[in-house]
Amino acid sequence: MRKTVLLLGVAVCALQAAPPSVFAIRDARIIRVSGPVLERGTVVVRDGLIEQVGASVAIPPDAWVIEGQGLTVYPGLIDALSTLGIAEAATTTAVSTRISSRTPGPPATPAPAETPGPPALPTTTSPPARGPEDRPSNTSWVRAADLVSPSDRRIETARSAGFTTAVTFPPRGIFAGQGAVINLAGEKGGQMVVSSPAGLYLTVSSTGFSSFPGSLMGVLAYIRQIFLDAEHYKLAQEAYAARPVGAKRPDYDRALEGVLEAPRLLLPATRAVEVDRMLRFASELKRPAVLYGAHEAWRAAELLKKSGTPVLVSLKWPERSRDADPEDVEALRTLELRERAPSTPAALVKAGVPFAFYTEGVTSSRELVRAVRRALEAGLSQADTVRAFTLSAAEIYGVADRLGSIDQGKIANLVVTSGELFQEKTQVRYVFIDGVKFEPLPEPAEEVSR
Amino acid sequence: MRPRWMLILAAAAPLVAAPPIVIKNANVLTVTKGRFQGSILVRDGKIVEAGEKVLVPEGAQIIDASGQYVMPGIIDNHSHVAAESTNEGSISVSSMVSIKDVLNPEDISIYRALAGGVTTILTTHGSANAIGGVCTALKMRWGKDAAGLLFDGAKPVLKMALGENPKRRGGSTPFGVSASPPRYPATRMGVEDVIREAFTEAVAYRQAWRNYEARRKRGDRVLPPRRDLKLEPLVDLMEGRSLVHVHCYRADEILMILRLGDEFGFNIKALIHVLEGYKVAKEIAAHKAGATTFSDWWAYKMEAIDAIPYNAAIMLKKGVLVSLNSDSPELMRHLNQEAAKIVKYGGVSEDEALAMITINPAKQMDIDQRVGSIEPGKDADLVIFDQHPLSNYAKVQKVLIDGEVYFDRDRDASQRGEREARRKTLVEKAKELQKKSGPPSFRRPS
Amino acid sequence: MRILALALLAGLPAAAGAQETFLLRGGTVYPVSGPEIVGGAVLVRDGKIAEVGAKIAVPRGARVIEVKGLRVYPGLIDSATEIGLSEIGSVRETQDTDEIGDFNPQLRALIAVNPASEHIPVARANGITSVITMPGGGVICGQAALIHLDGWTWQEMEIRPSAAMILRFPLIQSARSRAFADAPSRTPYAEARRNYERRLRELSEFFERARRYQKAKAAGPVEKDLKLEAMLPVLEKKLPVVILAQRERAIREALKFAEKEQIRVVLAGGDEAWKAAAELKAKNVPVILGPTLRLPSQEDDPYDKPVTQPAELHKAGVKIAFGSFSTSAARNLPYQAANAVAFGLPHAVALQAVTLTAAEIWGVADQLGSIEKGKLADLIVTDGDPLEARTQIKQCFIRGQAVDLESKHLRLYKKYLERQ
Repeated sequence: MRKTVLLLGVAVCALQAAPPSVFAIRDARIIRVSGPVLERGTVVVRDGLIEQVGASVAIPPDAWVIEGQGLTVYPGLIDALSTLGIAEAATTTAVSTRISSRTPGPPATPAPAETPGPPALPTTTSPPARGPEDRPSNTSWVRAADLVSPSDRRIETARSAGFTTAVTFPPRGIFAGQGAVINLAGEKGGQMVVSSPAGLYLTVSSTGFSSFPGSLMGVLAYIRQIFLDAEHYKLAQEAYAARPVGAKRPDYDRALEGVLEAPRLLLPATRAVEVDRMLRFASELKRPAVLYGAHEAWRAAELLKKSGTPVLVSLKWPERSRDADPEDVEALRTLELRERAPSTPAALVKAGVPFAFYTEGVTSSRELVRAVRRALEAGLSQADTVRAFTLSAAEIYGVADRLGSIDQGKIANLVVTSGELFQEKTQVRYVFIDGVKFEPLPEPAEEVSR
Repeated sequence: MRPRWMLILAAAAPLVAAPPIVIKNANVLTVTKGRFQGSILVRDGKIVEAGEKVLVPEGAQIIDASGQYVMPGIIDNHSHVAAESTNEGSISVSSMVSIKDVLNPEDISIYRALAGGVTTILTTHGSANAIGGVCTALKMRWGKDAAGLLFDGAKPVLKMALGENPKRRGGSTPFGVSASPPRYPATRMGVEDVIREAFTEAVAYRQAWRNYEARRKRGDRVLPPRRDLKLEPLVDLMEGRSLVHVHCYRADEILMILRLGDEFGFNIKALIHVLEGYKVAKEIAAHKAGATTFSDWWAYKMEAIDAIPYNAAIMLKKGVLVSLNSDSPELMRHLNQEAAKIVKYGGVSEDEALAMITINPAKQMDIDQRVGSIEPGKDADLVIFDQHPLSNYAKVQKVLIDGEVYFDRDRDASQRGEREARRKTLVEKAKELQKKSGPPSFRRPS
Repeated sequence: MRILALALLAGLPAAAGAQETFLLRGGTVYPVSGPEIVGGAVLVRDGKIAEVGAKIAVPRGARVIEVKGLRVYPGLIDSATEIGLSEIGSVRETQDTDEIGDFNPQLRALIAVNPASEHIPVARANGITSVITMPGGGVICGQAALIHLDGWTWQEMEIRPSAAMILRFPLIQSARSRAFADAPSRTPYAEARRNYERRLRELSEFFERARRYQKAKAAGPVEKDLKLEAMLPVLEKKLPVVILAQRERAIREALKFAEKEQIRVVLAGGDEAWKAAAELKAKNVPVILGPTLRLPSQEDDPYDKPVTQPAELHKAGVKIAFGSFSTSAARNLPYQAANAVAFGLPHAVALQAVTLTAAEIWGVADQLGSIEKGKLADLIVTDGDPLEARTQIKQCFIRGQAVDLESKHLRLYKKYLERQ
């Protein structure tokens, strides 16, 4: 009998680390984020939650002990804007920050934003939209929490880089849908969800010229109209609910239901002009907003501070496309953007603007480190970097009481490394999610540019 | 925070309390009050005095313009620069969109326009549809942010378009893209129908709100109508809160829109392009519509085959308020030379020609109280040319907006080296980074 | 008989009819080939300039045309147009410039010129008396013609039926097409480069084929190949090749190509010619500059680059002429030149760029481009500097015959001025 159990146990180990319900990491360097660094401390986890953390902690007798000398423990990293968990999004596009709009007529100044991934498009088998009333590209009622599944193979890759959590959004459309804060582990989707809805993800992708909206200004007008419609809808629903007898009932509009329930709006803004534009726009909509992209936000730091709007900074730093003509003369503006973008996080810290990072599809630890190092080298401190991946992200999404730091009572999401995070030589040893231990996949060989 | 690349081009940051400026000893072309040799005193962004003898106040900054010509800043009331969208062409009525939402203060076209003497523009929706979006007046204050470009207090302008462009997607045509499915209208008849339909809806919408207001005042508990951003600009026009500019070519459609304006009770503030305006100048003048046209473009489309360079002169003679516009980031750099052509084609006077790029376009935007001529009390939007602006040899030396120097040819020349040096530095840095970090950060999903 | 033959050769109508002898006098004559002559006169006989000078006796029977207070210039030459080949830009049926296929040296623009094109009188009304009109499709587009803007037929209009071979140099096109596309259809550079190299190879192979044909023909009778036949004058360096190229890389590649193929070239367009000025000078390649009134090629180029470039090229010793590259805007050619003057090009050079230099480039300097004895009497009478917009063209002569300055524009002007 015992042998069978052992064999079973071994079999289970082969799939994933056997989950002890109580364990302790002893005598490790602990970066709590919410407090000073513990050069030598211990974390005790029970039933997926942090039971204790401190310099001298009594380890429960039933705990599985992991010796932490030479190891560093961080709160698990949070990818603050992603599609992780929504498997079908892996084949279309990573979350797109690109503001796509056509400007026919006189030649437009080319946008400095790099990396043209395909714009977020709905499937266009429907007839062209005639206006906001047709609700084009609107799936605002779609909740990521309903779509996530642990079977998305990208999850394992993200985990191996140290991510325990992602804020996942449906990828497509102008009103793409409601996001959810999810942990990157679980036996089924429902177990992954930490908080939902996390926010309404908006893009400004237009659908070309044959269907509304066909331009950036069309998209903005559309968004504006939807929000007006939503307010009116609410009034109409409330009025009807108060006195339904004898009154004409208002239509049910799922597109507007989605808009109403969003706790915050995610709006794209990469260049300073776009940050300015979106801040104005958001204040017009009278909703809390979070701007994502942010590569030129260093120029609008004061503006952001004044508005109190947090920012999600993409780690996909702008760079010259590999496919570009080497003899192309690029605008000084573009060169400046590329040069200065990694200095945005440090500038945001200086101005006191809350921000978090998102990876736009990290595929390896090495790539993550390379991207993060650019911010470090441009002046972001190590502590602020770690915070941007952990507590700041949690704060932005209103889950800082549960995630983002190593504190008693919080969810046991941890990443254990061989040294300081984001150093080239440092390796991720373990990742704990809801108290379950995972070991990273071996690092893929460096891809030679095709 | 202005970025380096912009600072290199922009004027030096003005002092908080800028000293008064005297432009001295110039040939001053006021446009409305003749010309004289003398000076202009500028203070707090306004023209305070302009005359043969002007007292120079203590501490004034002197701009010596001896031998040079000063005229009011050029106004281009039909342009598409400084905006990241031009057309919302997917539908025939897109009045819900607004260029103001997508301003791009970093468009190099702004600086280049400035270098051609343009100080104010109307940046407009394109002509892809019968009713376009709402357009915005801007001053070419290079270096400021989007809000800083706005011509404060200027009325919004609704754009309409007639003729070939708004019906281009009405079916497959040899030119342009074959629309699938086609978008109504396909004919000039349909263009009128679209506009009439939209304004009929707008009238009903206005009525619905009036009804609501009336009932609310009576104390009835009543739900307001759903706000419709498409119809509100049309109501604004009918109520006089905004203006309308209409892109048009052929005499028949010009007449059509004048009649339609009469019908719905709004004035056509400006007909744009209006290349056959000379054929119906009488009717245009009677409606008191303005005309903003090209000097001599023709033959690029069927509706432009009867375009003649005498168009502006004929309309002027028949009592129409005529201006010239560029509709092009290139043409806007030499509107003064376009004005010179109107002297050639039709014998208008120098002042009349200059008026076409200053006070007349200002009137067509209802901003003539502020700009368009050199008169005390007006904004100090001034251009200094090294020769008479109607000469093809004239070069812009300096441009002031609100009394601040926004363009200075000498400074521009002196800063070129710095730009090039900065570029070289950045290109080198990028190369170093490439070498150090190897392939770019993220493998793109295939 | 001989006179008839000569007349035919000169492109004049055989039965010349009333070839007036007249004397323009009382104004200032600007020969372009020399200093202006105040109170000068020009004697025209048999369609040619018989005499130019300060005091010319009136021959018996000659008409005297007083031009006191006015100026006499050579007719202006536009070195790049599509006049006669294109009527309305947006109407395909009126376009005859772009044929199908990459290599069409045998195509002749001349015979497709519509002598009734409205663009002709319109351009002429502002003093343009002759133009190069060029085909535009494919890589080797066909033969451009030098024509007078006057004549009942294209035959009467022709000055040089085959003035140049037009070649649109291939480009490495990796930029996204500017057409209506939100789709990022950006051709990767590697692929664009391969495409370019392939096209360049095809072009070289075509030249190679032409050479083999040339050799074969020299050795004995061959089956006539019209395309390759048309290449012979190019190979013999009798016919210059006008290469259309704007950007620096294309210009350099084009020059390299020209050297390799041992052909005479003229660069047309040349937006970035200033970047290759030394090479252009060294190889003695003249440049037909496109409109100076255009936007700079790069965002960071000095705002006035297009208008300072002509002066720069001239200073570097490059021979320049101006072309409108248009039909409807040919009349504005002089203003393109004027803007170059404002920004540093000597006025005399600018004037030459639309007269004598152009004539030199097209190999007709013995007939056109200046007011000199023996040349064709292509003249304009103006009330001022023709490079200034406010100047009026008062009279125009082509081959010694007064041409109608009226055009549809003037007719419509008069008509609608009358409307009550």
